[in-house]
Amino acid sequence: MRALDTLARLCALLAGSLLTAITVMTCASVLGRNLFGATLAGDFELTGVATGLAIALFMPWCQLRRGNIIVDFFTSRARPGTIALLDRLGALLVATVMALLAWRTLLGGLNAWGNHSGSMLMGFPDWVVYAGMVPPLMLTALIAFYQALTPLAGEAP
Amino acid sequence: MTPVGMALLTFGLMLVLMALRTPIAVAMFVAGALGYGAQAGWPPLSSFLNHQAFARFASYDLSVIPLFILMGHLAAHGGISKALFAFASAVMSRFQGGLAMAAVLASAAFGSICGSSVATAATITSVALPEMRRHGYSGRLATGTLAAGGTLGILIPPSVPLVVYAILAEQNIAKLFAAALLPGLIAMLGYMAAIAVYVRWVPGHAPERRAEADREPLDARAWVGMVPIALIFSLVFGGIYGGFFTPTEGAAVGVAPTLVAAWLQRELTWAKLAQCFYATAEGSAMIFLIFLGADLMNASLALTQLPNQLAALVLGWGWAPLVVVAAILLLYVVLGSVMDELSMLLLTIPIFFPLINSLDFGLPQESVAIWFGILVLMTVGFGMLAPPVGLNVYVVNRLAKDVPIAESYRGVLPFLVSDTLRLLLLVCFPGISLWLVGFVR
Repeated sequence: MRALDTLARLCALLAGSLLTAITVMTCASVLGRNLFGATLAGDFELTGVATGLAIALFMPWCQLRRGNIIVDFFTSRARPGTIALLDRLGALLVATVMALLAWRTLLGGLNAWGNHSGSMLMGFPDWVVYAGMVPPLMLTALIAFYQALTPLAGEAP
Repeated sequence: MTPVGMALLTFGLMLVLMALRTPIAVAMFVAGALGYGAQAGWPPLSSFLNHQAFARFASYDLSVIPLFILMGHLAAHGGISKALFAFASAVMSRFQGGLAMAAVLASAAFGSICGSSVATAATITSVALPEMRRHGYSGRLATGTLAAGGTLGILIPPSVPLVVYAILAEQNIAKLFAAALLPGLIAMLGYMAAIAVYVRWVPGHAPERRAEADREPLDARAWVGMVPIALIFSLVFGGIYGGFFTPTEGAAVGVAPTLVAAWLQRELTWAKLAQCFYATAEGSAMIFLIFLGADLMNASLALTQLPNQLAALVLGWGWAPLVVVAAILLLYVVLGSVMDELSMLLLTIPIFFPLINSLDFGLPQESVAIWFGILVLMTVGFGMLAPPVGLNVYVVNRLAKDVPIAESYRGVLPFLVSDTLRLLLLVCFPGISLWLVGFVR
């Protein structure tokens, strides 16, 4: 779990740095446009690309912290053991969905590689983004899978 | 199976999974994927999934969401809120219940650079709750005020739910932000009025009016607390409405001065910056996963033709347009009490928006879309407070260890009354929401 934790942290920090980079680039672009009339053509495409990577990189940490919203209203009176069991089943579903997404995104990336698709103005290749999204999605699946297997507090070991 | 049966089955599966503590996003994803696959076949589902994560995550339009969230967390960790609350309490110290009103004022000001109600509630609670308890405010009033104040984070622009609405309904974000400003200020004044009435009617929750000598002076030092927020807000919104940059760029531009302000306050260490990134990770990833789940659910529901049939059915009843709006808002209040607000918007706007568009309110279509967006935003705020699952109430209550949750729910009641009155006002007078939009080019 230590390794998963460290990886998830690294992903989140990398993603945060990407967002900061977007900020710097956008500020430069806005200043350039309004002060010097110099436009950075396609800067918004880079923002899209960087956001895509950042969001995928945010996923592992969110899952590690169980940050995805659940409805606990209907199970508020259930026994702790039942709740822990349901949470493990929920984590298993998350792991399945994330593994599915990672797999399909990999295929989508291969597809994008094959037909050389890219952004409109800059021609930034789409496959790079797909390729960057697959590892964090896999890591998220792994974290959720680990959570599904680990007994939680209140559960008989 | 009939299409309607199919729709009910996918919807039912989603609700069962949700009730069994599956994350809401994943419940929508699983039910939606199964429904889509069963109707359209599995190869179309597979090719849909191939590009879905890329299409949703790497979207320029949606980049505002993580950026506004990051901006909010930078402001929260950057020591801006402390000086802000000091300023607010200096302004409000002459009134009975003044510290509670100050918490509302500080929440509103903080909400002008933060787009999330939970982040606003948590931030202002951390600075205002100890002060309120120290001055003898009851746990009920203190936590109720802070939970309600938190909703100003989304009622006053920027606002993440409003961005989501703008994208779903294909409306101009700048115009929606402009439309939200007056209703947001009315919300702030309404909350202050609720406090003023409550402390008079129900004694014992706030201390008596403070003596002249005991009040914080409203001097130059106090005003300094307001400066960073005012500067950032004017820069972001001045730039957007002055035509210097787009709202999407505005989010990125806003992060920079917030970072600088936090750094100048000497509050932002590397460790705190990392905390901001982690918090942004949790907030953003959660929202984008909900996007993915709702996409699949909506694709599946669209195949059943249920949204169209529902619109035709409701139109066939021949109800007055305002009655339809009222019914939708009522449904939102009910749904919002058990579901999270973003999932609710993502699932229902694709169904209700075409319906609203086909009704005649005697207003241009764009105005109707903007006005309806503001009404939806208000009911979302309502859902953040109303029992049994008011997210803001939970967040604030978790920070107030000695206050039972039932007390906090009792504490939000006066604010729910204020919310209801404001919603009625905005339903009856669309002009309140639309007036400022007229100035946006």
